[in-house]
Amino acid sequence: MRLALRGGRLLDGAGDRGTHDLYVKDGVIEGLDLGGPVDVDVDAEGKLVTPAFLDLHVHLRDPGQEVKEDLASGLAAAAAGGYGTVVSMANTDPVVDDPGIVADLVARAARVEGARLRPAAAISRGLRGEELTDFAALKAAGAVMVTDDGVPVADSRLFRSACEYAAELGLVVQTHSEDPTLRDGGVMHEGAVSQRLGLPGNPDAAEAVMVFRDGEVARLTGARVHIAHVSSRRGLEVARWLKASGAPITVEVTPHHLTLTDESLCGFDPVYKVAPPLRTTDDVAALRAGLTDGSVDAIGTDHAPHTLAEKQQDMLTAPFGIANLEVAFPLLYTRLVLGGALPLERLLWLLQDGPARVMGWPAPRLEPGAPADVTVLDLGSERAVDGARFRTKAKHTPWQGEALRGWPVATVVAGRLVHRDEG
Amino acid sequence: MTGAAAHVPPAPPPAAAARRHRHLLDFEGWTAEEVVSLLETADVMAQVLTRPVKRVPALQGYTVATLFFEESTRTRLSFERAARAQSADVISFAAGSSSLKKGESVRDTLRTIEQLQADLYVVRHPSAGVPHQIARWTDRAVVNAGDGRHAHPTQALLDAYTLRAALTEAGLPPQDRARPFAGRRLTIVGDIEHSRVARSNAELFTLLGGEVVLCGPAALLPRELGRLPGVHLTTDLDEAASGADALMALRIQRERLGPRRLTSLAEYVARYQLRERHLALAKPHAFVMHPGPLNRDVEVATELADGPRSLVERQVASGVPVRMAVLYALLVGRS
Amino acid sequence: MHEPSNLTFKSRIMTSAEFERALKRIAHEVIERNKGVGDVALVGIHTRGVPLAERLAGLVEMFEGTRPPVGKLDITLYRDDLTEIALQPVVKRTEVDFDVHGAKIVLVDDVLYTGRTARAALDAVVDMGRPAAIQLAVMVDRGHRELPIRADYVGKNVPTSRSEIVHVRLREVDGEDGVELWERAA
Repeated sequence: MRLALRGGRLLDGAGDRGTHDLYVKDGVIEGLDLGGPVDVDVDAEGKLVTPAFLDLHVHLRDPGQEVKEDLASGLAAAAAGGYGTVVSMANTDPVVDDPGIVADLVARAARVEGARLRPAAAISRGLRGEELTDFAALKAAGAVMVTDDGVPVADSRLFRSACEYAAELGLVVQTHSEDPTLRDGGVMHEGAVSQRLGLPGNPDAAEAVMVFRDGEVARLTGARVHIAHVSSRRGLEVARWLKASGAPITVEVTPHHLTLTDESLCGFDPVYKVAPPLRTTDDVAALRAGLTDGSVDAIGTDHAPHTLAEKQQDMLTAPFGIANLEVAFPLLYTRLVLGGALPLERLLWLLQDGPARVMGWPAPRLEPGAPADVTVLDLGSERAVDGARFRTKAKHTPWQGEALRGWPVATVVAGRLVHRDEG
Repeated sequence: MTGAAAHVPPAPPPAAAARRHRHLLDFEGWTAEEVVSLLETADVMAQVLTRPVKRVPALQGYTVATLFFEESTRTRLSFERAARAQSADVISFAAGSSSLKKGESVRDTLRTIEQLQADLYVVRHPSAGVPHQIARWTDRAVVNAGDGRHAHPTQALLDAYTLRAALTEAGLPPQDRARPFAGRRLTIVGDIEHSRVARSNAELFTLLGGEVVLCGPAALLPRELGRLPGVHLTTDLDEAASGADALMALRIQRERLGPRRLTSLAEYVARYQLRERHLALAKPHAFVMHPGPLNRDVEVATELADGPRSLVERQVASGVPVRMAVLYALLVGRS
Repeated sequence: MHEPSNLTFKSRIMTSAEFERALKRIAHEVIERNKGVGDVALVGIHTRGVPLAERLAGLVEMFEGTRPPVGKLDITLYRDDLTEIALQPVVKRTEVDFDVHGAKIVLVDDVLYTGRTARAALDAVVDMGRPAAIQLAVMVDRGHRELPIRADYVGKNVPTSRSEIVHVRLREVDGEDGVELWERAA
């Protein structure tokens, strides 16, 4: 199978490679301007051609919650968002705490057209935070990461043991860093807005306290700990200090925490209910600053789809989560890059080299021999967000109707064209 | 007679100020003028209730549906009475009834209820924001009868109505019709954090020109509320009572709060119960209020609850006329 | 110039002298019809019926030596056209401080037109008690009745078209008495 992406501007972590035709053959990058017959032709004239993104944090809801999302819709959504590889979280039903479930995911994902799936497995059985899972067996079955994401690991002794095993086996530990009792049922950021609205609040102290715990245990054990969805200035400052003092941690920030604040909750719409919560403009400013000063290592979507009916429950009952795989890049490109807060190269790094580095994977490159995971981005045309056109089952989006640029118009994964935007 | 300037044409009748709003969810966007207009209409409604026939045909042909996802017989009956006294039809959905299924989304519940074609929904729910969500999904009018900790606007209205009348009767009528509480201070004591009564009263009382002091145990007093204009916070009841025109106590529910939020009930009573001493620190005419039902000798000492300055019974009695005014204001004139 | 763009003055129907004479005649008629004013009470319909009722009470007192009680009635809550109006009217207080039961109530209003206001007033009075009789006094009957209502006492009958407005001016409100006809532009 041979594929050509014609006339695009080629850009990856090694630099701007100029405008060329990129050839892909049998799942691998073949070279530039080679000519010859191809099976698939993609017009990339005037567009940006760059390695497909890496997302270390998506909830595909499969197995068990397929009404919200499944492998087919989730991996197709990822490809539509320009993603070539996603790490799926383990808080499904049943929880991914058994090697058989990991193997099944790997096998089924191989048959799905879309981004590549690399599963994460749970740290504790059933996510109950009491018993460790079998890390070695899970890794052998294909798990690349261990995490109880969705819930924090409350027991520090258990967390320490998890880090020791993960360090031994070379698995990344991803943490959902929130102190469960300080969080205390909060459904939004605790602050002036929550107190005025009368909604239970989740203070930034809950995050800061747990980031510190997680980082110290990382330092103690030498495990590579990836702090997911840091949402506050305080949390980021603690992480920055930990890194500076030698803790082997990395930091992830989500697109929604970079663009939305707690004011969004003033209309009492659960589409904005997410954990950790959307915080203040000051927190958003701190997170944005962290993108360029080395504090933040990766952008992860924390794509968390739910059904429309679930998100139309009341603010206390509705589940937490924002589904954003398909809008992540256009949102961040339009708001941050075009807004002047972030250079394009840095945004791409946070979506490509950054996450690869967190996982210890080779940096994605458009070089001959590299895996053919490529996305074509239209930085010029502006189009309004329309959830009805999404591949994800979660069509209701906080950004419905917003005019954005930077839409992925084609994505190639393992040498196959898995996404093509007809316009 | 020469000259057109000699003839003054008839002027159209004045329109009530409250018509601008489709819903009463909280007082966001309401002006003092609009609220006072509601209070004046409530005066007229109170009169209706003194007549031999305690009914007017003003809402004939309208249907009011009460959706009480959180039970409160008193409040629900008060709204239903307010609807019937204006000849409206009433459909009640009480918590635990088969139509309000647990686990069903608010949206789906609304879809079922919409078949009955009510003109106005009165909604109470344990979660903040449900009336606002319903207002987005329906073209009918929505009245918030209490949403979680967020708001209880008709309670605030009846509290304002009662206090305004009591001040007038005490020889202290408002100087400015549109700011009836200018120069007045309302002190609210209790579990402020969990109280929609506190939030709505703070919002309304300051809108009407007054000052509010929120007082309670430190772990139940949200610090950021002190940033609202006209609102002050303190944990000291003596300080809060000084110079107040009205002292309002809130229900304390220790079983709900638990020992990790509240020190013992005995300590609460010792530090936050309204007593004679606090009335002495307040203004000479100061009144005692409580949204009810009152826990005797917990929130308010019995001699105060039953004393001459207590407005508690009048608060209860003003519920129906105030709610009549609200229903009238939101329904009449909608073409 | 106070004229709003859609109303133009047409003619003066009653001068202030004619107005005063009509009111005196009505007062005499009320006394004669009710054989004295022992159990008569006047109820003015807000807004202009109220000063008219007060005036009538004063004239009755002048002629009979007794001043009948005067009440003020707001019929907003009894109107049957509430769904059609675009602007919500201000609801005013009703002040009827005497016992309606067994009384002969004379409703007083400035203009009788469709009869709907009078009907609403009837319902309101009946909800206050059981009067012995209810009569209606108006300064102008302008025709176009939509209900079987008639006035017992009329200052002047004025045939009008639907595009016209009858404006009763009162000394207490407008500075002088009189009745004017105005035309509403299409």
